[in-house]
Amino acid sequence: MNLATRKLTRILIAAVLCFSAARSFGQDANARLQLANLDKLSEKAARVTDVTLDGSLLQFAVNLIEKVDAEDKDVEQLKSIIKNLKGIYIKSFEFDEASQYSKGDVDAIRSQLTSPRWSKIVQSIEKRRNEYDEIYVLKNGDKVGGVVILVAEARELTVVNLVGEVPMDKVASLERHLAPGEKHSDKPKQKKESGHDQE
Amino acid sequence: MHFSEDDLREALKRKDPGEGFTQRTMGSVNQARVNQSQSESKPVLAKPEKKSNGAFLGWLMHRPAWAIAVVAILLLAFGIGGYQYSEYRHAEEMRIARAKQQQLQQEAERARDQAIMALEIARAKMNHVLRHAQLQAEPNDKIRRERL
Repeated sequence: MNLATRKLTRILIAAVLCFSAARSFGQDANARLQLANLDKLSEKAARVTDVTLDGSLLQFAVNLIEKVDAEDKDVEQLKSIIKNLKGIYIKSFEFDEASQYSKGDVDAIRSQLTSPRWSKIVQSIEKRRNEYDEIYVLKNGDKVGGVVILVAEARELTVVNLVGEVPMDKVASLERHLAPGEKHSDKPKQKKESGHDQE
Repeated sequence: MHFSEDDLREALKRKDPGEGFTQRTMGSVNQARVNQSQSESKPVLAKPEKKSNGAFLGWLMHRPAWAIAVVAILLLAFGIGGYQYSEYRHAEEMRIARAKQQQLQQEAERARDQAIMALEIARAKMNHVLRHAQLQAEPNDKIRRERL
C-alpha cells in the first residue's frame, strides 16, 4: 500500500467517524424539544416542576446511582433505565383554574413532533373533560432514541422529554417507591409529587 | 645682692650661638607647625559615621561562639517558619479540595434525586396516558366513565 492510498484511507476513516458523530449528535438534538415557550406559564401555575438534567450533571447522577448496592431490584432497574439516557427534561404546570394555557402553547410542542422520525404511539382524547394525552417516540433504527409524554388537561400541562435510549417497558413498570422522598429519606424532598400517583 | 656695672656688661655681652643655630631654630619652628596642623586635622578625621551593623559584626567577629549561636537561632527560626508555612499551605489546599469534593458530592446527590424524581414523573405520566387510552378503548362507555 503506497503512501497516497494510506492517506486516502485515513481521510475516509476520519470522515466516517465525523459523519457518525455528527449524525449521533443530530439525533440527540432532534430528540430534545424546545420547551422555553412554556416558561411564561410559571406565573399562572399553582405548582411548577422544571427538571433539566443532561451532560455532566446526568453523568453525576448515573455514577452515583451506579455506586448504590446493586442487590436492590428496583435500583437495578433504575440503573438500567438511566445508564443510556442522555437528557431528561420535564416541564409540568398545575393550575388552580381551568384554561390557563392556550392551544397555541400545546401546538408549539406538537409542531416539533411532526418529523417522520417521531411516531405517536398513544393518544387519549377526552374532549368533554378537555384532556389530550399523547406519547411520542423517536425511532432510532430498532431502538427508541427519545420519548415525549404530553399531558394537556384542563388544569395541568406536562411535557416529559427523555432523550437517549429509553426502555419504555421498564419506565412504565418502575416502582413508585423509587421516589427520592421515600426511598432516600435523607435526601432533599422532591419538588413535586405527581398528581396521578394515586390512580 | 649688688651687681656692678661690669657684671652687667659682661652678662649682656653678645655671644656666638655656635654652628647649626639657624638649622636648629628652623627645625623647631617647622616641628611646631607640623604639630599644630596635626592637632587641627585630627578631630575631623576621628569622627567616622556610626554603623550599628558594622559595630555589631565587629563585636561578633571577636566572639565566634556568639556568632554561631546567632546563626543557629536564625536558621532555626527560618526553619520553623518555613515548616509552619508549608503546613498551613497544605492544610489550606486540603480544605479547598475537601470543599470542592463536598460540593461535587452535593451536586451529584441533587442530580441523582432529580433523575429519580424525573423518572418517577415520567412513569406516572406514562401510566396515566396509557390508562386513559386503555379505558377509552373499552367498549362499555358507562364503565369507562365510572372508572375515569
